Parts: sequence; structure tokens; C-alpha cells
Amino acid sequence: MSAIASSGMTRSIRKNQGIIVVLVLLAVLLVFGAFVSERFRTANNLLNILEQSTGLALVSLGQTLTILTGGIDLSVGSMISLLSTLTSGMINGDGSMVAPVVVGVLALGLVFGLINGILIIWLKVHPLIVTLGTGAVMQGLVLLYSLGPAGKVPKGFTYLAYGKLLGIPVGAIFVVVVFALVGWFLTYFRLGRYIYAVGDDDTGARLMGLPRAKVLLTVYAFSGFCCAMTAIYLVARFGVGQPYTGLNYTLASITPVVVGGTLLTGGKGGVLGTLLGVYLISLLNNVLNFMDVSTHYQLIAQGLIVIAAVSIYVEKRKRV
Amino acid sequence: MLKLTGISKGFTGVQALSGINFDVRAGEIHALLGENGAGKSTTIKIIAGAYQPDSGEIEFDGKVVRWARPADAKAAGIHVIYQEFVLFPHLTVAENIFLGYERRGAFGLIDHKKTRKDAAALLAKLGVDIDPDKLVSELTVADQQMVEICKALVHDVKLLILDEPTAVISGREAELLFARLAALKAEGVAIVYVSHRLEEIFRIADRVTVFKDGQHVVTTEIGNVNRDKLIAYMVGRDLKDIFPPKRQLDGSAKVVLKAENITVEGRVKNAGIEIRAGEITALAGMVGAGRTELAMGIFGGLPITSGKIWIDGEQVDGMTPAKAISKGIGFVTEDRKGQGLAMQLDVAANITAANLSAVTKTGLIDRRLENEIAREEIANYRIACRGPGTNVATMSGGNQQKVIVARWARTSRKVLILDEPTRGVDVGAKTEIYRIMRNLADQGIGILMISSELPEVVGMADRVVVMREGVVSGQLVGDAITEEAIMSLATQHPTEAAAA
Repeated sequence: MSAIASSGMTRSIRKNQGIIVVLVLLAVLLVFGAFVSERFRTANNLLNILEQSTGLALVSLGQTLTILTGGIDLSVGSMISLLSTLTSGMINGDGSMVAPVVVGVLALGLVFGLINGILIIWLKVHPLIVTLGTGAVMQGLVLLYSLGPAGKVPKGFTYLAYGKLLGIPVGAIFVVVVFALVGWFLTYFRLGRYIYAVGDDDTGARLMGLPRAKVLLTVYAFSGFCCAMTAIYLVARFGVGQPYTGLNYTLASITPVVVGGTLLTGGKGGVLGTLLGVYLISLLNNVLNFMDVSTHYQLIAQGLIVIAAVSIYVEKRKRV
Repeated sequence: MLKLTGISKGFTGVQALSGINFDVRAGEIHALLGENGAGKSTTIKIIAGAYQPDSGEIEFDGKVVRWARPADAKAAGIHVIYQEFVLFPHLTVAENIFLGYERRGAFGLIDHKKTRKDAAALLAKLGVDIDPDKLVSELTVADQQMVEICKALVHDVKLLILDEPTAVISGREAELLFARLAALKAEGVAIVYVSHRLEEIFRIADRVTVFKDGQHVVTTEIGNVNRDKLIAYMVGRDLKDIFPPKRQLDGSAKVVLKAENITVEGRVKNAGIEIRAGEITALAGMVGAGRTELAMGIFGGLPITSGKIWIDGEQVDGMTPAKAISKGIGFVTEDRKGQGLAMQLDVAANITAANLSAVTKTGLIDRRLENEIAREEIANYRIACRGPGTNVATMSGGNQQKVIVARWARTSRKVLILDEPTRGVDVGAKTEIYRIMRNLADQGIGILMISSELPEVVGMADRVVVMREGVVSGQLVGDAITEEAIMSLATQHPTEAAAA
């Protein structure tokens, strides 16, 4: 297993130099943070960072795959809002409803994602437009369902967000496991290879007879599934879902992907870069917190990082 | 093996194929010839399932077939090596070779080690030395072509189609390709071979078919024809009816643009060129030799790391396209749709696009004036359209090209650079474009024509500058301009050229 993991790791790094850039930035921030604050250095704080990054990590994982195919999923924010509101609304404090609702919400995320994929293939409209539209529809649906926080969840539910295994937050462990699984899928499955091929050259993939439709359905369905996981996690974290929970996630989910070295045009990048990107952003926010600056500066810093990262990675245009 | 009967295909504004017939037998190499726009590429795409014919019948391996998509033709055993490669730049050589036919090990998972090993074995079988772990984007164009050929050896192919496979590779690599084709032929594979190089065709083909203007002209055993006959079939008329008479060179023409030591990172090394008023200078060489990059570097569209540029004897530093245009230089790009025309706008808007200030009054565009100018140019260049308001997307390639030339001719007082000006244009429109170019030259403009078509270079150019692998490998003037001379400069090593 370790041999496989390490060969996968070197492959990832060789194909995505962005990983090194992010690792360097992470190291710089860690050192900087340690200077700024005593409390930053505590193990508790670092675990806290891992825990807080869970939601962003899960939604960015799905986003990574859509971006790898040269597309994008702008419906994630609304989908998270809708699914989280449904989760707490339908459980409504009833412990026996937890299992069926969680399974149902995961399935619903998959179905919404599939609908995105079907519309993209069938209408031949760019994913940006399709998911912008379905996102608006879902935002409308959730507001029809509830104008504010809906229902509640039993106490044990919060374990998903705050529980610990061997002292490490379960959410953080779960994130590493699913990222590893998806990384493994991308490296060792033919469909994973085709995700890159479609993003690299869509016309070429068609001429080669690669299963383009299957690729697109898979990535958008998976993105929907990731939204469902994020939604469930957020309900566990806040104890309730509400119609604007996911609002910031649409753009936030793109940030770690591009910071992690995945090209917005597709075909290059991967999930390891995204995971590091997520950690980088969480760490950045954490350090800024300790510096006692307004949270508004976090957004400014994030924005600057995205622009800086993309300008580093952007491939020199070969043609005019 | 394959039989096309009465295939027709039309696109908006152009009838690409009109009822063509074509057949290929198992175990033969069948050459398909024709000028650009003759319908070869369309035919290939129909055989490959990328286009669906409007009418006609395709018979493959004894059965009448209708491909809905390329995957169908591929599953039936048809492999196409397209002129514009189907390679994925961010995947490795090995991954590209086995794309769609991944080497798999336990549990059906991709076996990276085996992929690499098998790719290395295939490359060795072909006789080329390429690292299977390299990303395709890091390879030279010639190596990319060899990888593209390798892909055809991965699976069982009944019909192999090669579109201009030797356009970008050297003689040695071509020999490797021919050896491989002979082996495939012996195995009973049917091969369709498209090339402009007649010597190759006489060497390897068994039969030859010529298309012209979307129609089938002739199919015959290669022994029944000679070079001149084939050219006559392809062109269908005398060369002197196509090209306007050249200018008498007296050496007095003044140099309007001079560039020295131009270097464009990774593409052009210390190349220089002179363009004279009233003359047509051709920039020749193989695809990927750096011709477009040199011209773009001079125009300011690509960053140059060294070099000096003079316009009318005056040195210009820090060239940008905007500066070049203001100094009277125009650039008609190769890719009309991507870089030149605003396809959704009308003829008038496209003609004035490079010089809007001429039709702007008090900050607003004067549409009446714009239309007047457009009507004038439509007559001038004999652009076939309903009027200034015609949407350019609905026009034929030749007429679109005239619109762009008209646009640049309005602002280019000194130099007009045209990159592959007749690509994808029918013979009639070609003749028109040649006439327009010669007229502009006669008005005193210096023309730089980048062209991969040797007959065009020989027919049009007063001077030829030949490039090879980023350097200028030689110049030809007047009667010294022949296809053979250009080819030898375009393919030999720079050191040999220096020695010669």
C-alpha cells in the first residue's frame, strides 16, 4: 500500500508542480504563525484547523473533478443550502430518521448532480451556464421549503463534526480517506484517465471514441454527492440547516482547486493539490485570526492568493 | 475493405463533397490526392464517423454501415492519424499511446509499469528514441507525429488512414514510417495515404485517387500515371492561369521592414528578414519551423528576447501589435475564425475593425460611412455577399479571407503579413487572393506571405526566405526559386546549409 501511495504521490507531483508551491506556502505560513502567536503553536489549534477545513475540503473535492474535465459546477452553494436544510428539516429531532435521511440526502445529491450532467450533455450548453441555472432553481426550491433554519438534529449527530478518533477530528480523517480514494481512482481507473483526457482536449477525446458522456455524468454526479456530504457535515457542525448555509461555497470551492495547481481549462492537476489548497486557506484564515485582523481581510487575502496562484501556474501561451 | 458510393456533404455555404466514389482494398496503400479544399479531409472524417454524409453509402468489410460517432468506426477497426494530431498534451507519451486501450493488471486497474514498458517496446519497434514518461507537450512536433503513428499499432486495425503524416518529420523518420506501413500492408491492412509529396506516393502507393473541388477525378494504378499527369488532375488548369505575373526585380526596391537577430523563446533563434516595398517575400519551411513565430515576434504579438527591428530605416523598440499597426503593418493570421474574424458581426464591421477611428465621429461609430466603405471594398475585392450587413459566419472560406485582407489593406500602408492566406480556400478564391496580393504589392506595399504550399510559394514569391527549426536556413531570389531548392533548405541541417 505504501509503495502504491508513494508512487501515486510522485506521479502527482511530477504532473502538478503546483503541489510544491503550495507546500512551500504552507511551511512559510506555519513558521510565520508560530512567530505571531503562542497559542497558534498548540496541537489543539492545528487540529482545530483540520476540523474547520472539512466542509470546504469535501465540496472542493467534487469541484476538482468538474474542473479537471474543463467544466465547473456553480450549483454547489445552492445545493448545499438545499440539502442541509432538508437534512435537519426532515430529521427534525427524531433519532430514528437520521439513517434514512442521510442516505436519502446523499442519493438526492447524486441525482441533482446527474441532472446537471445530463443537461450539459443533452443541451450542449457550457457547464457554467447550466449549473448557474440549476443553482438558481435549487436556491428557489430551498426558499420554498423554508425561509429560515429548519428542524433540528439529535445530540449524537454533532459527533460527525466534533467527534474525535485517537484525538483527531473524525471529519479530518474522513477527508483524508475520501481524497485518497479519489486520487487512487484518478490514477488507476480508466475512467479517471479519461477525466483528464476530456479536459485536455474535448474534441480529441471525441475523435478517439472515449466515453465522454460517461465522464461528464460521473464528475457532475460526484460533485452533487460531495455537496450532500458537505451539507450533512455542516448540519452536524451548526446543529441545523438553513437556506443560506452554502452561499459562500460556490466561489470558495474553486479557490483551493486553482491554488492547488489544477488548470481552470482542465486536463491538468489533481486532488492532492486541492487538499493542500484547502489546508492552506484554512491555515491562512487561522493565522489572520491570531493576528487579530478583521475577518474581512481573510477574504482579501484569499482573493489575492487565487490571483497570484493562477498567474504562477498559467501556461505561457504558445500562440498569439 | 472500404467502399464509398455517391457520398455528398455540404456545410453552410460550401458543398464539400458532391457524390464522390472511393474504394480501398485489403493489403493496399491507396494514395488520396487533391489540393487544399478538394474534399480529402471531409472524406476522411466521414470514413472515421466524425461527420455524417448528407447522402451516399458506406460499405465496410462487406457490410453497409452508418457511423453515428467516431467510436463506432473505431470499434469496427478504422484508425485515423489526423494531420492535426489527437494527442493530449498533459498526459505522458505512454498514456497517450494506450489511451482507450489502457494496460491493466489486477482487478482491472491501470498498470503504470506495464504501460511504460509496452510503450517503450512499441516505440522501439517503430525505431524511434522517445522517453515514454515525457509529457507529450514536451516533445518536438516530429516526435509527436511518431507517437501518433505508434497509437495505430496498439490495436487491431483493418483500415488505417494517414493524413499528411510526413509533413513534419524528417527523411529518416519517414523511412521508419514507410517500413512500418509495408509490414502492415503485408498483414492485409488497408491503408489510405494522404500526402502532398508526390515522390512518396510514387514510392509507396499501389493505387491513387485524385479529388478536385469535392469531386472524384480519377482512380488508377500508380503505374498508369506520372508526376505531371497527377498535377494536371489535381489543379485542373494551367499554373499560369492561377498566378499573376511576377514583378521584374531590379534591386532598386527599398527595404520597408528589416529585422535582425530575432529570438523567440524556444521557437526562433537569431533569425533575420528583409521585406521590400512592392515585392512579395515568402517565408517557407515545414510546419513548426518557426515561421509564424518569427513574423509574430516582428509584429509584437510574441515576446522577443533579442533582436532589432527597423521600419523605413527607423529603429523601433518594444514592438507591440498596436504600435505595429500604427506604423502601417498588418497581419492576416492563419486561423481566420480564432484570431481574425468576428464571426457574429457583419462584413462592414469586420472590414473596419482594425481602424475604427476612421469611421468614428464625435465618439460614435458612423454606420452609414462604415457601410459605404464596406460597399467599396466588396466591389474592390469581389467579395461574394448580399451586402455590408451580411453575417460573415454564413460566407465561404474564400470570401471570409477576402474580408480580412480588405480590413488589413486599409490600415497597412507599408507591410502586410499574410499567414497561410489560401488555407481551406477553393481554387477560384485562391486565384482572386493571389491577384489581390499582387495588386497590393504593385501599390508599393511590402508583402510577407507565410506558406506551406510549395506551388504557391514558387508561383507568387519574388524572394523566398526558408526556415528550419527556428533558424533561417537560406534565401532564394528570382529564377532560383524552385520547389526542390526550397525543400532542400527546409529539411537539411543548418550546419549542412552553412557548409553548402
